[in-house]
Amino acid sequence: MTTTTKSGTDLDLIAHLLRRAGFNPTWDELQEHAALGYDGAVDRLFNPGPADPMPSDVIRRYHPDQTITQIAPSSGSVWMYRMSTTKTPFEEKIALFWHRIFATGQTKLIQGKVMLTQIEMFRKYGLGSFRDLLIQLSQDPAMILWLDNQDNHKDNINENYGREILELFAMGVGNYTEEDIKECSRAFTGWTIANMPYMSIRMRNNTLRPYGYVAWQYKFDPEDHDDGEKTFLGETGNFNGEDVIDIICKNPATPAFIARHIYHHFVADELPVPQWPFEGPKDPAAIQLMVDAYFANDYSIGAMLRAMFESDIFKSEEKRHARIKSPAELIVGTLRMAGGFDWPTQEIFKATAACGYMGQSLLAPVSVEGWMGGDDWISTGSMVQRINFASDTVGDHNKKGIRQIVDRVAERHPEGNVDPEELLDDLLELAGAIHVESDTLAGIVTYASQQGGIDPRTEDGAAKIASILQLIVSTREYQLV
Amino acid sequence: MTTPTSAKLGLEYRDTNGFGAAQGGRGYHLPVDIAVRSDGRIYVLSRSALNSFRGCNIGITDLEHNWFDKIGEHGKAPGMMDWPTAIVFDANDRLFLADESLQRITIFDAGHNYVGHWGTHGSGDGEFDGPAGMDFDQDGNLLVVDEKNHRVQRYTPDGEFISSFGSEGSGDGQFNYPWGITVAPDGRIYVADWRNDRIQRFTHEGEFIDAYGTSGREEGQLDRPSDVAVDSTGNIFVTDWGNQRLQVFDSDWNFQTSERGAGEMSPWALEYIDANADEKAARDVFDPYPELDVDDPHEVSARTEPYFWDPAAVALHGDDLVLVLETSRHRFQVYEKT
Repeated sequence: MTTTTKSGTDLDLIAHLLRRAGFNPTWDELQEHAALGYDGAVDRLFNPGPADPMPSDVIRRYHPDQTITQIAPSSGSVWMYRMSTTKTPFEEKIALFWHRIFATGQTKLIQGKVMLTQIEMFRKYGLGSFRDLLIQLSQDPAMILWLDNQDNHKDNINENYGREILELFAMGVGNYTEEDIKECSRAFTGWTIANMPYMSIRMRNNTLRPYGYVAWQYKFDPEDHDDGEKTFLGETGNFNGEDVIDIICKNPATPAFIARHIYHHFVADELPVPQWPFEGPKDPAAIQLMVDAYFANDYSIGAMLRAMFESDIFKSEEKRHARIKSPAELIVGTLRMAGGFDWPTQEIFKATAACGYMGQSLLAPVSVEGWMGGDDWISTGSMVQRINFASDTVGDHNKKGIRQIVDRVAERHPEGNVDPEELLDDLLELAGAIHVESDTLAGIVTYASQQGGIDPRTEDGAAKIASILQLIVSTREYQLV
Repeated sequence: MTTPTSAKLGLEYRDTNGFGAAQGGRGYHLPVDIAVRSDGRIYVLSRSALNSFRGCNIGITDLEHNWFDKIGEHGKAPGMMDWPTAIVFDANDRLFLADESLQRITIFDAGHNYVGHWGTHGSGDGEFDGPAGMDFDQDGNLLVVDEKNHRVQRYTPDGEFISSFGSEGSGDGQFNYPWGITVAPDGRIYVADWRNDRIQRFTHEGEFIDAYGTSGREEGQLDRPSDVAVDSTGNIFVTDWGNQRLQVFDSDWNFQTSERGAGEMSPWALEYIDANADEKAARDVFDPYPELDVDDPHEVSARTEPYFWDPAAVALHGDDLVLVLETSRHRFQVYEKT
């Protein structure tokens, strides 16, 4: 049975799981999953209850711009509400994972509605069969226009999507030829959207005139599909897009490529993706574990992740705090610590904008290669943004989540004044079983000691506790996950 | 009295007025309310986007698509607006503007000059937390839907609190984030009880009369109604926001008709298209009613340009014309009673 006692117990392991499969866990989330034990907590990730996020009708009434989602900050804010209020954060982490790999950008599409539809597709298919996911992706209107497949015609192919599905989305450089790219592109001819000429021009002209955006819809045009014979990855036939995806999915390079992404996103920072053709994975055993799970479970992404979460590789001490938090992880985790949002507020834009200032504009990745992650997240400017945002967010002791932390400290210390070292021990645990090094801890304890008595039952004490939380989220260690 | 089936009220599409004007200029951007002045001019309140405020104002037009002016701009100073929700005229053509971020009612005189504002944030008598809809009662006092306090408050035009009715809940006379309000010609008060999926009717004094609506997509059911208007014979026009349609009932709540929208290119829209040859050429082969693979009304409207998309407000122009304002299409459609 997993304990729920202070640091050094399985609580740390469960916190590790929840940080990777979600965001910085709240004390309630930690308690709930700790009660299940580690295996039970993993099981809960794959069998969650309802997400119960802020309802979409509520968001749309107060943020009408988020209905049309003309601009990235608007649609990004819809997602930010979802991430910061959902009861199933793993679902959002999966969506973030695929958004990073299948990087599609509103900057070109000028149509946030279809971006959010794509993210919803990631929620629905992101843990299922990779084959199903690739079919959905290839029929996703945002992806079609992002990579110009509307211009991929029977008699005049455009190889943009055909190239990227092989290079960036499924297999990686070195596992196909230029001829494979052309044949792959031929297979996807005719995969377009309804009303393509008008939609395409309006996207190019970047305008909501005359009547706002008309959301796109996938359409197969048989007249524009090349159903001739093709040779792709060594096989020959009258392949269409689904056939090509079948061939991709059964190729061993595919799960190896996806497994490395999973490792990079959920286990430990890998090398930037462009270096992968030249440098092998950091942990080949971890990759093989997931490849085996993929083939044993009908190309299931969920099976790959479950195998990883249940492995000793993932649970090991060295994998904890081994990744740099992405801006979304940092922001959402901090927002959730502070209690999230009960109702729409203009504050949401600050969070969405901050994510962009830190280098991760949601729904607007820098390129089709997505974000590199790892050290790329950290620069002088982004560090200032990260610390300022986190510190501002937890500094108000009247916020629901902060008040809950204060109240729990008060429950543990009904006598009033709390010893600074004990207080830090409590706060680190209550804020999500956060780990800090001894020198960092000593510095914060010194600060707490200088505050005079800290009585969590009082407003003054609550404000002081919030100021200590501000220091905790400003540490080097809080940048890690 | 129940209206005989043969005498059911119908609606006939007549016109579309509007143009997306996110950068300012002629048209609207994410409009949320509409009001008709005594001379027939039509005022459209645009909320615009949170970080793109140039479309935040009150635009003025008429049934002939003349464009007159704009009032106000985004900001927090007196006379400006931040998250505007509603507009209404008093008997002297003074224009009242509600703002749920600034928690205030702003008044412009008949010449559109800023006169003053009033309002205090809170939950006590006279305070409000999100003024969402407004109308004047028969005594010339202002009814304000106090959305987050789940009630309706009554003030003198100068902001002196008179009374209130309603509380949070789903029982008779209770509200769940109410939105639009109208005072019928007979003085009765109708409130769009948004998250209870119903319209509630009250006496002039605020006594509960009845409520109509169950949640759903079927004919006569409602999903998050945003606004209501009532004509001289008691017909009730409801913008069924979540179902993306206008539903009409007689005074006894007998279903009359439903409209999904039939928007066409307005003269302003046509001017734009005519000036952009590439868009015009593509528009010529544009199918406004594509075959869809979704059935969620919001998604259907997102993909079908003629349909209402987020109909936030309904107003009568005279007693025969019905104006349906669509937030996400930056326009209003005009229907004539038949």
